[in-house]
Amino acid sequence: MHAEVAGSKVEPRTVDEILEWLSAGRISSGEAFALFRRLETAPAPAANDGGEGEQQRLAVAMAELDDLIGLEPVKELVRELQAFVAIQRRRAEERLSTEPMALHMVFRGNPGTGKTTVARILGRMFQAMGVLPRGHLVECERADLVGEYIGHTAQRTREHIRKALGGVLFIDEAYALARGGEKDFGKEAIDTLVKAMEDHKDELIVILAGYRQEMEYFLSVNPGLRSRFPIQIDFPDYTPDELYRIAQRMCEQRQYRLSPAAGLRLRRLLEQGQASTPYSGNARLVRNLIERAIRRQAVRLVRRKRLTRDDLITLEAVDLAGAGADPVRLPRPVAGWTLGEAGVACR
Amino acid sequence: MKRCIIIGRPNVGKTMFALQFAVYLGVAEARIAFAEAGGRRWEKTYDMGNAVANLTGSAPHHTRQLQALRLELPAGKGKREFELLDTSGLVDGIHPDAGIRRAMAQTLAAVRDAHVILHMIDAAAVGRADPVRAIGEVDYQVAQFAQMRDGYLLVANKMDLPEASRGLARIRREFVGHPVAPVSALHRQGFYEVKAFVGRHI
Repeated sequence: MHAEVAGSKVEPRTVDEILEWLSAGRISSGEAFALFRRLETAPAPAANDGGEGEQQRLAVAMAELDDLIGLEPVKELVRELQAFVAIQRRRAEERLSTEPMALHMVFRGNPGTGKTTVARILGRMFQAMGVLPRGHLVECERADLVGEYIGHTAQRTREHIRKALGGVLFIDEAYALARGGEKDFGKEAIDTLVKAMEDHKDELIVILAGYRQEMEYFLSVNPGLRSRFPIQIDFPDYTPDELYRIAQRMCEQRQYRLSPAAGLRLRRLLEQGQASTPYSGNARLVRNLIERAIRRQAVRLVRRKRLTRDDLITLEAVDLAGAGADPVRLPRPVAGWTLGEAGVACR
Repeated sequence: MKRCIIIGRPNVGKTMFALQFAVYLGVAEARIAFAEAGGRRWEKTYDMGNAVANLTGSAPHHTRQLQALRLELPAGKGKREFELLDTSGLVDGIHPDAGIRRAMAQTLAAVRDAHVILHMIDAAAVGRADPVRAIGEVDYQVAQFAQMRDGYLLVANKMDLPEASRGLARIRREFVGHPVAPVSALHRQGFYEVKAFVGRHI
Protein backbone atom coordinates (compact mmCIF):
# COMPACT_ATOMS: atom_id res chain seq x y z
CA MET A 1 0.00 0.00 0.00
CA HIS A 2 2.08 2.90 1.18
CA ALA A 3 5.77 2.91 0.70
CA GLU A 4 7.59 2.28 3.91
CA VAL A 5 10.83 4.07 4.45
CA ALA A 6 12.90 3.43 7.56
CA GLY A 7 9.87 2.04 9.31
CA SER A 8 7.79 5.20 9.03
CA LYS A 9 4.94 5.46 6.60
CA VAL A 10 5.52 7.94 3.86
CA GLU A 11 2.40 9.52 2.53
CA PRO A 12 1.71 12.23 0.07
CA ARG A 13 0.83 15.33 2.03
CA THR A 14 -0.61 17.72 -0.48
CA VAL A 15 -3.21 17.46 -3.19
CA ASP A 16 -0.58 17.68 -5.88
CA GLU A 17 1.44 14.92 -4.29
CA ILE A 18 -1.59 12.67 -4.04
CA LEU A 19 -2.36 13.20 -7.72
CA GLU A 20 1.25 12.62 -8.64
CA TRP A 21 1.35 9.35 -6.73
CA LEU A 22 -1.88 8.31 -8.37
CA SER A 23 -0.59 8.90 -11.87
CA ALA A 24 2.70 7.27 -10.99
CA GLY A 25 0.79 4.15 -9.97
CA ARG A 26 1.90 4.25 -6.35
CA ILE A 27 -1.63 4.45 -4.96
CA SER A 28 -5.03 3.47 -6.28
CA SER A 29 -7.80 5.97 -6.89
CA GLY A 30 -9.64 4.65 -3.83
CA GLU A 31 -6.61 5.34 -1.68
CA ALA A 32 -6.33 8.75 -3.25
CA PHE A 33 -9.89 9.55 -2.17
CA ALA A 34 -9.14 8.34 1.32
CA LEU A 35 -6.11 10.61 1.43
CA PHE A 36 -8.17 13.52 0.17
CA ARG A 37 -10.61 12.94 2.94
CA ARG A 38 -7.88 12.89 5.52
CA LEU A 39 -6.49 16.09 4.08
CA GLU A 40 -9.83 17.82 4.38
CA THR A 41 -10.68 16.61 7.83
CA ALA A 42 -7.22 17.23 9.21
CA PRO A 43 -7.02 20.33 11.37
CA ALA A 44 -5.92 23.39 9.51
CA PRO A 45 -2.19 23.73 9.64
CA ALA A 46 -1.33 26.52 12.03
CA ALA A 47 1.34 28.01 9.83
CA ASN A 48 -1.13 28.57 7.10
CA ASP A 49 0.07 31.60 5.32
CA GLY A 50 2.68 33.55 7.08
CA GLY A 51 3.91 31.45 9.94
CA GLU A 52 4.96 32.33 13.43
CA GLY A 53 5.38 36.07 13.14
CA GLU A 54 1.92 36.67 11.79
CA GLN A 55 0.31 34.34 14.30
CA GLN A 56 2.07 36.17 17.04
CA ARG A 57 1.10 39.60 15.76
CA LEU A 58 -2.48 38.44 15.56
CA ALA A 59 -2.32 37.15 19.12
CA VAL A 60 -0.89 40.48 20.28
CA ALA A 61 -3.66 42.41 18.57
CA MET A 62 -6.33 40.16 20.03
CA ALA A 63 -4.80 40.39 23.49
CA GLU A 64 -4.80 44.15 23.21
CA LEU A 65 -8.46 44.01 22.33
CA ASP A 66 -9.23 41.77 25.28
CA ASP A 67 -7.35 44.16 27.49
CA LEU A 68 -9.78 46.99 26.80
CA ILE A 69 -12.23 47.55 29.58
CA GLY A 70 -15.87 46.93 28.79
CA LEU A 71 -16.90 47.04 25.10
CA GLU A 72 -18.08 43.44 25.24
CA PRO A 73 -20.37 43.61 22.21
CA VAL A 74 -17.60 45.24 20.19
CA LYS A 75 -15.09 42.61 21.18
CA GLU A 76 -17.49 39.90 20.23
CA LEU A 77 -18.06 41.43 16.82
CA VAL A 78 -14.37 41.81 16.21
CA ARG A 79 -13.82 38.18 17.12
CA GLU A 80 -16.60 37.21 14.75
CA LEU A 81 -14.95 39.24 12.05
CA GLN A 82 -11.61 37.64 12.71
CA ALA A 83 -13.11 34.17 12.53
CA PHE A 84 -15.01 35.07 9.37
CA VAL A 85 -11.90 36.29 7.60
CA ALA A 86 -9.89 33.28 8.72
CA ILE A 87 -12.52 30.83 7.52
CA GLN A 88 -13.05 32.61 4.22
CA ARG A 89 -9.32 32.36 3.60
CA ARG A 90 -9.36 28.66 4.43
CA ARG A 91 -12.30 28.19 2.09
CA ALA A 92 -10.51 30.04 -0.66
CA GLU A 93 -7.60 27.67 -0.24
CA GLU A 94 -9.93 24.75 -0.74
CA ARG A 95 -11.36 26.59 -3.72
CA LEU A 96 -14.80 26.69 -2.16
CA SER A 97 -16.96 29.64 -2.99
CA THR A 98 -16.28 32.54 -0.67
CA GLU A 99 -18.22 35.54 0.45
CA PRO A 100 -16.81 38.76 -0.87
CA MET A 101 -14.89 40.38 1.93
CA ALA A 102 -16.21 43.88 2.21
CA LEU A 103 -14.70 44.96 5.46
CA HIS A 104 -15.63 48.61 5.43
CA MET A 105 -17.31 49.57 8.66
CA VAL A 106 -19.38 52.11 10.44
CA PHE A 107 -18.60 52.76 14.09
CA ARG A 108 -21.46 54.36 15.92
CA GLY A 109 -21.06 55.68 19.38
CA ASN A 110 -20.44 58.67 21.54
CA PRO A 111 -17.02 60.26 21.69
CA GLY A 112 -14.54 58.56 23.91
CA THR A 113 -16.12 55.16 23.68
CA GLY A 114 -13.14 53.53 22.04
CA LYS A 115 -13.79 53.87 18.34
CA THR A 116 -10.33 55.00 17.33
CA THR A 117 -8.64 52.53 19.62
CA VAL A 118 -10.60 49.63 18.22
CA ALA A 119 -9.96 50.84 14.66
CA ARG A 120 -6.25 50.84 15.36
CA ILE A 121 -6.39 47.31 16.73
CA LEU A 122 -8.45 46.17 13.76
CA GLY A 123 -5.82 47.55 11.40
CA ARG A 124 -3.14 45.56 13.13
CA MET A 125 -5.33 42.47 13.26
CA PHE A 126 -6.05 42.57 9.54
CA GLN A 127 -2.42 43.18 8.83
CA ALA A 128 -1.47 40.12 10.86
CA MET A 129 -4.06 38.08 9.00
CA GLY A 130 -2.73 39.22 5.67
CA VAL A 131 -5.85 41.13 4.66
CA LEU A 132 -4.08 44.47 4.68
CA PRO A 133 -0.46 44.88 3.69
CA ARG A 134 0.38 47.59 6.21
CA GLY A 135 -2.45 47.91 8.70
CA HIS A 136 -1.74 51.46 9.80
CA LEU A 137 -4.46 53.93 10.68
CA VAL A 138 -4.96 57.28 9.00
CA GLU A 139 -7.34 59.51 10.90
CA CYS A 140 -9.14 62.32 9.24
CA GLU A 141 -12.34 64.31 9.42
CA ARG A 142 -14.36 66.61 7.27
CA ALA A 143 -11.92 69.49 7.45
CA ASP A 144 -9.13 67.29 6.11
CA LEU A 145 -11.13 66.04 3.17
CA VAL A 146 -13.23 68.93 2.01
CA GLY A 147 -11.49 71.58 -0.04
CA GLU A 148 -12.14 75.21 -0.77
CA TYR A 149 -12.92 75.24 -4.43
CA ILE A 150 -14.27 72.90 -7.04
CA GLY A 151 -11.94 69.99 -7.64
CA HIS A 152 -9.96 70.70 -4.50
CA THR A 153 -11.99 68.21 -2.48
CA ALA A 154 -11.33 65.25 -4.73
CA GLN A 155 -7.67 66.08 -4.66
CA ARG A 156 -7.49 66.32 -0.89
CA THR A 157 -9.58 63.21 -0.40
CA ARG A 158 -7.42 61.23 -2.77
CA GLU A 159 -4.35 62.38 -0.93
CA HIS A 160 -5.67 60.97 2.31
CA ILE A 161 -6.69 57.78 0.60
CA ARG A 162 -3.21 57.43 -0.80
CA LYS A 163 -1.77 57.81 2.66
CA ALA A 164 -4.15 55.18 3.98
CA LEU A 165 -3.54 52.59 1.24
CA GLY A 166 -2.58 49.30 2.77
CA GLY A 167 -4.25 50.24 6.00
CA VAL A 168 -7.33 51.75 7.52
CA LEU A 169 -8.81 55.14 6.68
CA PHE A 170 -10.68 56.31 9.73
CA ILE A 171 -13.06 59.16 9.09
CA ASP A 172 -14.22 60.70 12.32
CA GLU A 173 -17.51 62.56 12.50
CA ALA A 174 -18.19 61.23 9.04
CA TYR A 175 -21.76 62.50 9.06
CA ALA A 176 -20.35 66.01 8.71
CA LEU A 177 -19.63 65.14 5.09
CA ALA A 178 -23.34 65.20 4.42
CA ARG A 179 -23.83 68.51 6.13
CA GLY A 180 -24.56 71.50 3.98
CA GLY A 181 -26.84 69.94 1.43
CA GLU A 182 -26.49 69.15 -2.24
CA LYS A 183 -23.99 71.79 -3.25
CA ASP A 184 -21.64 71.09 -0.41
CA PHE A 185 -18.23 69.71 -1.27
CA GLY A 186 -18.75 66.99 1.29
CA LYS A 187 -20.67 65.07 -1.31
CA GLU A 188 -17.70 65.19 -3.62
CA ALA A 189 -15.58 63.72 -0.86
CA ILE A 190 -18.05 60.87 -0.43
CA ASP A 191 -18.05 60.16 -4.17
CA THR A 192 -14.27 60.14 -4.31
CA LEU A 193 -14.19 57.86 -1.32
CA VAL A 194 -16.65 55.39 -2.78
CA LYS A 195 -14.69 55.25 -6.00
CA ALA A 196 -11.45 54.63 -4.13
CA MET A 197 -13.09 51.86 -2.15
CA GLU A 198 -13.88 50.10 -5.40
CA ASP A 199 -10.48 50.78 -6.97
CA HIS A 200 -8.48 49.65 -3.98
CA LYS A 201 -10.75 46.89 -2.75
CA ASP A 202 -7.92 44.75 -1.47
CA GLU A 203 -5.73 47.34 0.14
CA LEU A 204 -7.99 49.72 1.95
CA ILE A 205 -10.54 49.48 4.70
CA VAL A 206 -12.62 52.56 5.36
CA ILE A 207 -14.18 53.15 8.74
CA LEU A 208 -16.76 55.87 9.21
CA ALA A 209 -17.24 56.94 12.78
CA GLY A 210 -19.62 59.23 14.55
CA TYR A 211 -22.50 59.71 16.93
CA ARG A 212 -25.18 57.11 16.64
CA GLN A 213 -28.10 59.28 15.54
CA GLU A 214 -26.08 61.41 13.19
CA MET A 215 -24.52 58.38 11.51
CA GLU A 216 -27.95 56.81 11.15
CA TYR A 217 -29.16 59.96 9.42
CA PHE A 218 -26.02 60.15 7.30
CA LEU A 219 -26.48 56.59 6.04
CA SER A 220 -30.15 57.11 5.40
CA VAL A 221 -29.56 60.11 3.12
CA ASN A 222 -26.82 58.23 1.25
CA PRO A 223 -28.49 54.91 0.56
CA GLY A 224 -25.58 53.65 -1.54
CA LEU A 225 -23.31 53.92 1.45
CA ARG A 226 -25.13 51.55 3.71
CA SER A 227 -24.59 48.60 1.42
CA ARG A 228 -20.95 49.53 0.98
CA PHE A 229 -20.43 49.48 4.72
CA PRO A 230 -21.91 46.15 5.66
CA ILE A 231 -20.37 46.03 9.11
CA GLN A 232 -21.86 48.34 11.67
CA ILE A 233 -20.55 48.32 15.16
CA ASP A 234 -22.24 50.10 18.03
CA PHE A 235 -20.05 51.38 20.79
CA PRO A 236 -22.06 51.52 23.97
CA ASP A 237 -21.35 54.13 26.60
CA TYR A 238 -19.26 52.94 29.49
CA THR A 239 -21.06 52.18 32.71
CA PRO A 240 -19.86 54.06 35.81
CA ASP A 241 -18.26 50.86 36.95
CA GLU A 242 -16.26 50.47 33.76
CA LEU A 243 -15.28 54.12 33.93
CA TYR A 244 -14.01 53.54 37.42
CA ARG A 245 -11.87 50.66 36.26
CA ILE A 246 -10.56 52.81 33.43
CA ALA A 247 -9.70 55.52 35.95
CA GLN A 248 -7.83 53.03 38.06
CA ARG A 249 -5.86 51.85 35.12
CA MET A 250 -5.01 55.39 34.10
CA CYS A 251 -3.75 56.09 37.58
CA GLU A 252 -1.69 52.94 37.59
CA GLN A 253 -0.11 53.80 34.29
CA ARG A 254 0.83 57.22 35.56
CA GLN A 255 2.11 55.68 38.78
CA TYR A 256 -0.54 57.26 40.96
CA ARG A 257 -2.98 55.65 43.30
CA LEU A 258 -6.43 56.69 44.44
CA SER A 259 -6.87 56.72 48.17
CA PRO A 260 -9.96 54.82 49.32
CA ALA A 261 -11.79 58.07 49.97
CA ALA A 262 -10.83 59.40 46.56
CA GLY A 263 -12.05 56.18 45.00
CA LEU A 264 -15.43 56.59 46.58
CA ARG A 265 -15.60 60.20 45.55
CA LEU A 266 -14.69 59.34 41.98
CA ARG A 267 -17.37 56.69 41.83
CA ARG A 268 -19.93 59.21 42.99
CA LEU A 269 -18.78 61.77 40.49
CA LEU A 270 -19.00 59.28 37.69
CA GLU A 271 -22.49 58.25 38.65
CA GLN A 272 -23.58 61.87 38.85
CA GLY A 273 -21.99 62.61 35.53
CA GLN A 274 -23.80 59.73 33.94
CA ALA A 275 -27.09 61.08 35.19
CA SER A 276 -26.50 64.68 34.19
CA THR A 277 -25.38 64.48 30.58
CA PRO A 278 -25.89 61.97 27.84
CA TYR A 279 -22.36 62.25 26.49
CA SER A 280 -20.57 61.50 29.70
CA GLY A 281 -20.23 57.77 29.40
CA ASN A 282 -16.79 57.96 27.99
CA ALA A 283 -13.22 57.52 28.87
CA ARG A 284 -12.17 61.04 28.00
CA LEU A 285 -14.21 62.37 30.87
CA VAL A 286 -12.30 60.09 33.16
CA ARG A 287 -9.00 61.18 31.77
CA ASN A 288 -9.87 64.81 32.33
CA LEU A 289 -10.89 64.07 35.89
CA ILE A 290 -7.70 62.20 36.63
CA GLU A 291 -5.41 64.71 34.99
CA ARG A 292 -7.08 67.52 36.82
CA ALA A 293 -6.73 65.63 40.07
CA ILE A 294 -3.05 65.12 39.38
CA ARG A 295 -2.54 68.85 38.94
CA ARG A 296 -4.46 69.65 42.10
CA GLN A 297 -2.45 67.13 44.01
CA ALA A 298 0.68 68.85 42.79
CA VAL A 299 -0.61 72.20 44.04
CA ARG A 300 -1.48 70.62 47.36
CA LEU A 301 1.95 69.07 47.79
CA VAL A 302 4.20 71.74 46.44
CA ARG A 303 4.13 73.83 49.63
CA ARG A 304 4.94 70.96 51.91
CA LYS A 305 8.40 70.68 53.35
CA ARG A 306 8.54 66.97 53.80
CA LEU A 307 7.15 64.56 51.30
CA THR A 308 7.07 60.79 51.42
CA ARG A 309 7.04 58.59 48.38
CA ASP A 310 3.53 57.62 49.37
CA ASP A 311 2.36 61.24 49.34
CA LEU A 312 3.59 61.61 45.79
CA ILE A 313 1.67 58.57 44.67
CA THR A 314 -1.63 59.06 46.39
CA LEU A 315 -4.51 61.10 45.02
CA GLU A 316 -6.79 62.21 47.82
CA ALA A 317 -10.48 62.95 47.76
CA VAL A 318 -9.75 66.68 48.00
CA ASP A 319 -7.89 66.53 44.72
CA LEU A 320 -10.95 65.19 43.00
CA ALA A 321 -13.27 67.67 44.58
CA GLY A 322 -12.14 70.49 42.37
CA ALA A 323 -12.38 68.40 39.29
CA GLY A 324 -15.88 67.47 40.24
CA ALA A 325 -16.83 71.06 40.85
CA ASP A 326 -16.23 71.56 37.20
CA PRO A 327 -19.40 70.91 35.30
CA VAL A 328 -19.06 67.51 33.72
CA ARG A 329 -19.77 68.56 30.21
CA LEU A 330 -17.82 67.62 27.22
CA PRO A 331 -16.80 69.74 24.36
CA ARG A 332 -17.49 68.34 20.95
CA PRO A 333 -14.49 66.25 20.08
CA VAL A 334 -11.63 68.06 18.42
CA ALA A 335 -9.51 66.44 15.77
CA GLY A 336 -6.03 65.51 16.80
CA TRP A 337 -6.67 64.46 20.35
CA THR A 338 -4.10 61.91 21.09
CA LEU A 339 -4.71 58.34 21.95
CA GLY A 340 -4.43 57.69 25.63
CA GLU A 341 -1.22 55.82 26.16
CA ALA A 342 -3.23 53.53 28.30
CA GLY A 343 -4.57 51.81 25.24
CA VAL A 344 -7.72 52.63 27.04
CA ALA A 345 -10.47 54.00 24.97
CA CYS A 346 -9.90 57.68 24.95
CA ARG A 347 -8.67 59.88 22.25
CA MET B 1 -19.63 29.16 -12.73
CA LYS B 2 -20.54 26.12 -10.71
CA ARG B 3 -19.18 22.78 -11.78
CA CYS B 4 -21.00 19.50 -11.69
CA ILE B 5 -18.86 16.42 -12.14
CA ILE B 6 -19.85 12.89 -13.08
CA ILE B 7 -17.61 10.17 -11.74
CA GLY B 8 -17.78 6.43 -11.47
CA ARG B 9 -16.20 3.20 -12.53
CA PRO B 10 -15.44 2.66 -16.22
CA ASN B 11 -18.30 1.89 -18.50
CA VAL B 12 -21.12 2.72 -16.11
CA GLY B 13 -22.48 5.23 -18.60
CA LYS B 14 -21.07 8.55 -17.54
CA THR B 15 -20.65 9.98 -21.01
CA MET B 16 -23.99 8.67 -22.17
CA PHE B 17 -25.59 10.27 -19.18
CA ALA B 18 -23.84 13.60 -19.78
CA LEU B 19 -24.95 13.74 -23.38
CA GLN B 20 -28.48 12.59 -22.76
CA PHE B 21 -28.80 14.96 -19.84
CA ALA B 22 -27.78 17.77 -22.17
CA VAL B 23 -30.49 16.69 -24.59
CA TYR B 24 -32.93 16.57 -21.69
CA LEU B 25 -32.06 20.17 -20.84
CA GLY B 26 -32.82 21.16 -24.40
CA VAL B 27 -29.40 21.22 -26.05
CA ALA B 28 -29.51 20.26 -29.71
CA GLU B 29 -25.86 20.60 -30.45
CA ALA B 30 -23.18 19.75 -27.94
CA ARG B 31 -20.15 21.97 -27.85
CA ILE B 32 -17.72 19.98 -25.81
CA ALA B 33 -14.48 21.24 -24.37
CA PHE B 34 -11.95 18.47 -24.04
CA ALA B 35 -9.01 18.65 -21.69
CA GLU B 36 -6.40 15.92 -21.69
CA ALA B 37 -4.33 15.14 -18.65
CA GLY B 38 -1.26 16.05 -20.69
CA GLY B 39 -2.53 19.59 -21.06
CA ARG B 40 -3.86 19.44 -24.62
CA ARG B 41 -7.20 21.16 -24.97
CA TRP B 42 -9.60 21.39 -27.83
CA GLU B 43 -13.24 21.99 -28.53
CA LYS B 44 -15.57 20.22 -30.84
CA THR B 45 -19.21 20.63 -31.67
CA TYR B 46 -21.32 17.57 -32.26
CA ASP B 47 -24.95 17.15 -33.01
CA MET B 48 -26.38 14.83 -30.45
CA GLY B 49 -26.60 11.67 -32.50
CA ASN B 50 -22.99 11.95 -33.55
CA ALA B 51 -21.88 12.73 -30.06
CA VAL B 52 -23.36 9.55 -28.66
CA ALA B 53 -21.93 7.47 -31.48
CA ASN B 54 -18.47 9.01 -31.20
CA LEU B 55 -18.03 9.49 -27.52
CA THR B 56 -19.59 6.42 -25.98
CA GLY B 57 -18.87 2.76 -26.42
CA SER B 58 -19.30 -0.58 -24.77
CA ALA B 59 -15.63 -1.06 -23.98
CA PRO B 60 -14.43 0.49 -20.74
CA HIS B 61 -12.27 3.60 -20.72
CA HIS B 62 -13.71 5.14 -23.80
CA THR B 63 -13.39 8.54 -22.19
CA ARG B 64 -9.84 9.40 -21.30
CA GLN B 65 -10.02 13.11 -20.68
CA LEU B 66 -12.27 15.65 -19.07
CA GLN B 67 -15.13 16.58 -21.31
CA ALA B 68 -16.98 19.71 -20.32
CA LEU B 69 -20.43 20.69 -21.46
CA ARG B 70 -21.90 24.08 -20.73
CA LEU B 71 -25.53 23.75 -19.75
CA GLU B 72 -28.26 25.95 -18.41
CA LEU B 73 -30.84 25.29 -15.77
CA PRO B 74 -33.79 27.54 -15.11
CA ALA B 75 -33.24 29.37 -11.84
CA GLY B 76 -35.88 31.72 -10.58
CA LYS B 77 -36.88 33.98 -13.42
CA GLY B 78 -33.67 33.49 -15.34
CA LYS B 79 -31.23 30.77 -16.14
CA ARG B 80 -28.10 29.64 -14.45
CA GLU B 81 -25.18 28.31 -16.39
CA PHE B 82 -23.16 25.43 -15.10
CA GLU B 83 -20.51 23.12 -16.38
CA LEU B 84 -21.17 19.40 -16.61
CA LEU B 85 -17.87 17.56 -16.44
CA ASP B 86 -17.65 14.09 -17.85
CA THR B 87 -14.63 12.16 -16.66
CA SER B 88 -12.56 9.10 -17.23
CA GLY B 89 -13.59 6.04 -15.22
CA LEU B 90 -12.01 5.22 -11.88
CA VAL B 91 -10.70 1.73 -11.28
CA ASP B 92 -9.69 -0.13 -8.17
CA GLY B 93 -6.10 -1.04 -7.69
CA ILE B 94 -3.32 0.30 -9.80
CA HIS B 95 -4.03 0.42 -13.48
CA PRO B 96 -1.16 -0.75 -15.71
CA ASP B 97 -1.80 1.95 -18.32
CA ALA B 98 -0.04 5.18 -17.36
CA GLY B 99 -2.37 7.18 -19.60
CA ILE B 100 -5.40 5.97 -17.68
CA ARG B 101 -3.69 6.62 -14.38
CA ARG B 102 -3.02 10.18 -15.45
CA ALA B 103 -6.62 10.56 -16.56
CA MET B 104 -7.77 9.33 -13.15
CA ALA B 105 -5.52 11.82 -11.41
CA GLN B 106 -7.05 14.50 -13.57
CA THR B 107 -10.52 13.31 -12.58
CA LEU B 108 -9.64 13.41 -8.91
CA ALA B 109 -8.26 16.91 -9.19
CA ALA B 110 -11.51 17.99 -10.81
CA VAL B 111 -13.58 16.26 -8.11
CA ARG B 112 -11.99 18.41 -5.46
CA ASP B 113 -13.05 21.57 -7.24
CA ALA B 114 -16.54 20.44 -8.18
CA HIS B 115 -19.63 21.82 -6.49
CA VAL B 116 -21.85 18.90 -7.32
CA ILE B 117 -20.67 15.30 -7.56
CA LEU B 118 -22.82 12.84 -9.45
CA HIS B 119 -21.47 9.43 -8.56
CA MET B 120 -22.66 6.90 -11.08
CA ILE B 121 -23.01 3.21 -10.44
CA ASP B 122 -24.11 0.57 -12.90
CA ALA B 123 -27.19 -0.85 -11.17
CA ALA B 124 -27.51 -3.70 -13.65
CA ALA B 125 -23.96 -4.82 -13.03
CA VAL B 126 -24.58 -4.66 -9.29
CA GLY B 127 -27.71 -6.78 -9.80
CA ARG B 128 -25.72 -9.33 -11.76
CA ALA B 129 -22.98 -9.17 -9.17
CA ASP B 130 -20.56 -8.48 -12.00
CA PRO B 131 -17.14 -8.56 -10.34
CA VAL B 132 -15.59 -5.86 -12.52
CA ARG B 133 -18.32 -3.31 -12.86
CA ALA B 134 -20.18 -3.69 -9.58
CA ILE B 135 -19.49 -1.57 -6.52
CA GLY B 136 -15.80 -1.45 -5.78
CA GLU B 137 -13.43 -0.05 -3.22
CA VAL B 138 -13.22 3.25 -5.05
CA ASP B 139 -17.00 3.66 -4.84
CA TYR B 140 -16.95 3.32 -1.07
CA GLN B 141 -14.06 5.74 -0.83
CA VAL B 142 -15.83 8.28 -3.02
CA ALA B 143 -18.95 8.02 -0.86
CA GLN B 144 -16.92 8.55 2.29
CA PHE B 145 -15.03 11.43 0.78
CA ALA B 146 -18.26 13.05 -0.38
CA GLN B 147 -19.88 12.72 3.03
CA MET B 148 -18.59 16.12 3.92
CA ARG B 149 -20.15 17.68 0.87
CA ASP B 150 -23.60 18.89 0.19
CA GLY B 151 -23.92 18.29 -3.51
CA TYR B 152 -23.39 14.56 -3.66
CA LEU B 153 -25.85 12.32 -5.48
CA LEU B 154 -25.55 8.64 -6.26
CA VAL B 155 -26.92 7.90 -9.70
CA ALA B 156 -27.92 4.28 -10.33
CA ASN B 157 -27.72 3.91 -14.08
CA LYS B 158 -28.94 1.30 -16.57
CA MET B 159 -32.28 0.90 -14.83
CA ASP B 160 -33.75 -0.26 -18.14
CA LEU B 161 -31.96 -3.60 -17.78
CA PRO B 162 -33.79 -6.41 -15.98
CA GLU B 163 -31.29 -7.03 -13.17
CA ALA B 164 -31.13 -3.37 -12.29
CA SER B 165 -33.89 -3.17 -9.70
CA ARG B 166 -32.10 -5.73 -7.56
CA GLY B 167 -28.95 -3.73 -8.06
CA LEU B 168 -30.70 -0.54 -6.98
CA ALA B 169 -31.85 -2.17 -3.75
CA ARG B 170 -28.31 -3.30 -3.08
CA ILE B 171 -26.91 0.17 -3.79
CA ARG B 172 -29.40 1.69 -1.36
CA ARG B 173 -28.32 -0.82 1.28
CA GLU B 174 -24.63 -0.25 0.70
CA PHE B 175 -24.83 3.53 0.76
CA VAL B 176 -27.32 4.18 3.49
CA GLY B 177 -27.72 7.87 4.15
CA HIS B 178 -26.86 9.03 0.66
CA PRO B 179 -29.56 10.00 -1.82
CA VAL B 180 -29.81 7.65 -4.79
CA ALA B 181 -31.42 8.56 -8.11
CA PRO B 182 -32.29 5.66 -10.41
CA VAL B 183 -31.93 6.61 -14.07
CA SER B 184 -31.64 5.14 -17.47
CA ALA B 185 -29.21 7.32 -19.36
CA LEU B 186 -29.93 5.59 -22.62
CA HIS B 187 -33.67 6.27 -22.40
CA ARG B 188 -33.44 9.57 -20.52
CA GLN B 189 -35.53 8.24 -17.69
CA GLY B 190 -35.37 9.45 -14.10
CA PHE B 191 -33.64 12.67 -15.15
CA TYR B 192 -36.12 14.91 -13.39
CA GLU B 193 -34.73 14.04 -9.99
CA VAL B 194 -31.17 14.62 -11.08
CA LYS B 195 -32.08 17.94 -12.61
CA ALA B 196 -33.85 19.01 -9.43
CA PHE B 197 -30.85 17.98 -7.35
CA VAL B 198 -28.37 19.82 -9.57
CA GLY B 199 -30.70 22.83 -9.61
CA ARG B 200 -30.69 22.93 -5.83
CA HIS B 201 -26.93 22.88 -5.61
CA ILE B 202 -25.73 25.28 -8.26
